[in-house]
Amino acid sequence: MSEVPLQPSEKLPTRRSADPTYYETPLLNEPVWEWAIPAYYYIGGLTGASLALGAAAQLAHSRKLEPLIDRCHWIGLLGTGASSALLVYDLGRPERFLNMLRVFRPTSPMNMGAWILSGAGGASFGAVLFRGRRGLPGAIGRACGYAAGVFGAGLATYTGVLVANSAIPLWQEARRVLPVLFGSSAMGSVGCIFGMLAESTENRRITRAFGAIGQMAELAAGIVMEKQVSVVPRVGLPLKRGWSGVAWKTSAALTAASVVLGMLPNRSKKRRIAAGLLGTLGSLLLRFTVQHAGVVSARDARASFHQQRAGRAI
Amino acid sequence: MPATKGFFTDTTLCIGCKACEVACKQWNQLPDDGFLFSAMSYDNTVHLGASTWRHVAFIERPVPLRPQDDGAFSWLFSSDVCKHCARAGCLESCPTGAIIRTEFGSVYVQPDVCNGCGYCIVNCPFGVIDRREEDGKAWKCTLCYDRLREDLQPACAKACPTESIQFGDLDELRVRAEARVEKLHEQGLTDAYLYGAKKEDQPGTEGLNAFFLLVDEPEVYNLPPDPVVPTKKVKAAWISMAASAAGMALVAVGAVLLGKGRRV
Repeated sequence: MSEVPLQPSEKLPTRRSADPTYYETPLLNEPVWEWAIPAYYYIGGLTGASLALGAAAQLAHSRKLEPLIDRCHWIGLLGTGASSALLVYDLGRPERFLNMLRVFRPTSPMNMGAWILSGAGGASFGAVLFRGRRGLPGAIGRACGYAAGVFGAGLATYTGVLVANSAIPLWQEARRVLPVLFGSSAMGSVGCIFGMLAESTENRRITRAFGAIGQMAELAAGIVMEKQVSVVPRVGLPLKRGWSGVAWKTSAALTAASVVLGMLPNRSKKRRIAAGLLGTLGSLLLRFTVQHAGVVSARDARASFHQQRAGRAI
Repeated sequence: MPATKGFFTDTTLCIGCKACEVACKQWNQLPDDGFLFSAMSYDNTVHLGASTWRHVAFIERPVPLRPQDDGAFSWLFSSDVCKHCARAGCLESCPTGAIIRTEFGSVYVQPDVCNGCGYCIVNCPFGVIDRREEDGKAWKCTLCYDRLREDLQPACAKACPTESIQFGDLDELRVRAEARVEKLHEQGLTDAYLYGAKKEDQPGTEGLNAFFLLVDEPEVYNLPPDPVVPTKKVKAAWISMAASAAGMALVAVGAVLLGKGRRV
C-alpha cells in the first residue's frame, strides 16, 4: 500500500445515511415453508390439546366420559397421522423424513418436535388399540392414554418454540408468548371441533369450558404478543400493516365472535356450528398469519438492524 | 486435529473483480442462479444463496475516501461468504444432524443426510444458507472441504488477485488482521475495524471463523450489527412452553371435574 492518507477529506461533505441498508435488499433468506406447515401447526395443536383433554378425562374414572375419551384418542391417532403427512409433504426430500429420528438434539426444537410427534402418535395408537380391554392390555391402554396426554400437551405448544427459534425478528421478539398463543389456540380448536359434533350434555360442558378458556387465553396472548413485538416499532409492523396486519386482526375478530356466540344463552345446534366454524377459521388463520408475517419480517432488513441496534439481540 | 481455519476478508483490498464468485462456482460446480440485471451498481448476484457461496457487494457511497476522492463519492467492495460461526445457528437448529463441525472448525452440510426441512434457513442470522429448488437440499459454502483435505486453500482465496480474501489458521489471521487495522489507522483511515474477529466483538455468535475488515457500519454491507444465534435466546420460549403445557393440563383437569361434578 502507498502512504497516501486514506482519511475522509474534511473539505467535502459526508452524507452518510442515518438508516442504511444494502439497496433495500433483505438481510435474511425467506422461509421456504409453504401452506402445509401452518396447516400442521393447526392440526398438531388440535391433536395435542385433545390428547391432553383425553388424559384428564381418563383421570376422572367415570364411565360417562368414555365416549369423550374415545373421541380424544381417535383424533389423536388420525391427527398425528395427518401431521406426519403434512410434514413429509413439505420436506424438500420427503424420503428423508426419518432422518429426523437418527439423532436426539435438544438444541433443535424441530428435532424435539419430531420426537414429540412420534411419541404422541405411538401413544395414541396404543390407547386406541387397547381401549376398554381388561387386565394387562387395559392397563397398557390407560398408560398409553396418559402418555399421549403428556406428549399431546407438548405437541400443542412446542410449535411456538419451533417458530421462536429463528433469526426472523418478528418471530424472535415474540418468543415468550408464541407457545402460549399456539397452546391456547389449540385448546380453542378442540372446543370448536367437538362443539360441532354430537355429544352428551355432560361431555359438552367439559369441551365447552376447555375451549372457551383456550379461546379467551388466545385473544389475551394475541394482545400481549402485539405489544411485545412492537417494542421496536419496525419489528411489529407486519402485525399492523399490509395483508398480514389485516389477517392478524381478522383472526382475532373471528375468535372473539366465536367466543361471544358460544356464550349466548339458549344454544341451538345451528348456533353451535356457527361458533365452531368461526373459531376454527380464526385458529387456522392465526397460524397462517404468524407464518406470513414472519416472511414479511424476513424481507425487511431494517427490522433486524433496528432490533439489534436497540440492544434486543440478546 | 488441524488448527481452526478461516477467512480474513479485507474489504479495503477488494477491487470488485468477482474472481472469487467465479472460482467458487467453477470449483464447486454450482448451477447458475439466473442471469438477471439488478440495477444495483455492478452487483447482479445480489445475495448469498443455495448456489451462490461468494457474493461481492458494490457500495456507492456519497462519502469521500482518499485516495478515491475525486468528489464526494467512494466505492466499497466486499466479498461476502458464510461466516462459519463459532456458534452456528444452522448447525444447532438442524434436526437431522446433517450440519456438522469439521476438523477444520468449519460448518459443513452433509448433502446425503439433509432432508430439506428448511429450518437452517430461518436460523441463519446472516441469510447465508438456502434450499435449492432442484434437489430440495440446503447448501452453503463448505470452506472448500474437499480442497482442505488435500492441503489446498479454498478456491476463492486462491483466485483473489489482491489478497483481499486471506485463508489460513484463524489465530494467525487474527494477528494479521489486527496489524492491518493498526496500519490503516496510522494512515488515517480511522474508520477501519474488524467485524466478528473475536468472541468479545460478537458475543451472539461467539466469533466468526470468516471475519471481515470494514470501513463503514455493518448495515452498509448488508451485515447484521449484532447477530445472535437463535438458540441462545430460545430458553425463554422453552420455559413459556412448559408453562403453557402445564396450564393446558390444569384447565383440562378443571374442565373435567367441573363437567362431571355438576349433576344434570
